[in-house]
Amino acid sequence: MGSARYDEGPPLAAHKILIAGGFGAGKTTLVGAISEVRPLRTEEMLTTASVGLDDLSGVSGKTTTTVALDFGRITFGTNIVLYLFGLPGQERFSFMWDELSYGALGAVILADVRRLSDCFPSVNYFEKRRLPFVVAVNCFDNAPRYDPQEVRLALDLDPGVPLVLCDAREVSSVKQVLITLVEAIAASRSSRSRTRRTTVTPRM
Amino acid sequence: MPAGDRWRRRDSGPVVRPYAVTGGRTEPVDGAVLDLIAVVVATGRGTKADESAKLTPEHRRILDLCKRQVTVADIAAETALPVGVVRVLLADLMAQHAVTVVRQRPAAQRTSNDVLQEILNGLRAL
Repeated sequence: MGSARYDEGPPLAAHKILIAGGFGAGKTTLVGAISEVRPLRTEEMLTTASVGLDDLSGVSGKTTTTVALDFGRITFGTNIVLYLFGLPGQERFSFMWDELSYGALGAVILADVRRLSDCFPSVNYFEKRRLPFVVAVNCFDNAPRYDPQEVRLALDLDPGVPLVLCDAREVSSVKQVLITLVEAIAASRSSRSRTRRTTVTPRM
Repeated sequence: MPAGDRWRRRDSGPVVRPYAVTGGRTEPVDGAVLDLIAVVVATGRGTKADESAKLTPEHRRILDLCKRQVTVADIAAETALPVGVVRVLLADLMAQHAVTVVRQRPAAQRTSNDVLQEILNGLRAL
């Protein structure tokens, strides 16, 4: 084991962005378009305590579920790595969202105009968690085109939430989505700190 | 366990039941749960000979990956082990001081504007 050597480089700073959206909205495609490695897949094994009469048996009733997690990676400079995690879209995995969104910088919600209601859970979730997000309408070739303003209304988006049209297969398009998101994150920071300055530490 | 990609086909599922490689343990020894993007690295101190003998091939593979700073998610993807299993095995290595955590929590709340700017510049340059 003497061969293992401590990596003396600057500490790696890993950040994550979540890619949400309904099943088939193009999450893995989007991650694959921009990731420096082909999307990686791992299995997150979850143990959930079962509720109910099981507890009386004295055996801790637990069930395990396996959820496939797809993620991609982009490295900036020597020590910043951005991870893009696809959020499992199915309702029954929503309990995983808390863990995945913990510490996330922000999220992209991929929307398919043919199944816009698939986005509602994600929009509600990120609004509730106050996690900055953008809605990216994935323009499928055969999908009807809608005015972004109509989509915005249908999703009842806050005026501050950016909505962009994208092609999840195109690196330049995905890049623009992520840029929009990071700009929105920066904007939310500055508005939050402005609020803090005025309400918590008023200047004399 | 036989090495080689033909044993690690994504669709074929694991050859060994996932928690067999942890000896049936589903919780890390210290009870602490590493975040998916927690960064770990080998300390270079190695493990004591008697403890080293107890290391499984999976432990050794992880230790090898930790020669460079690496995240839990990357280890899981590289080893094709479920994240839960990786957490248990990493905790074993940490208990032996062979591996240390560089950054446990994702730094979102503390992410400085400089870092956001660096990410923005990096994205624009893609």
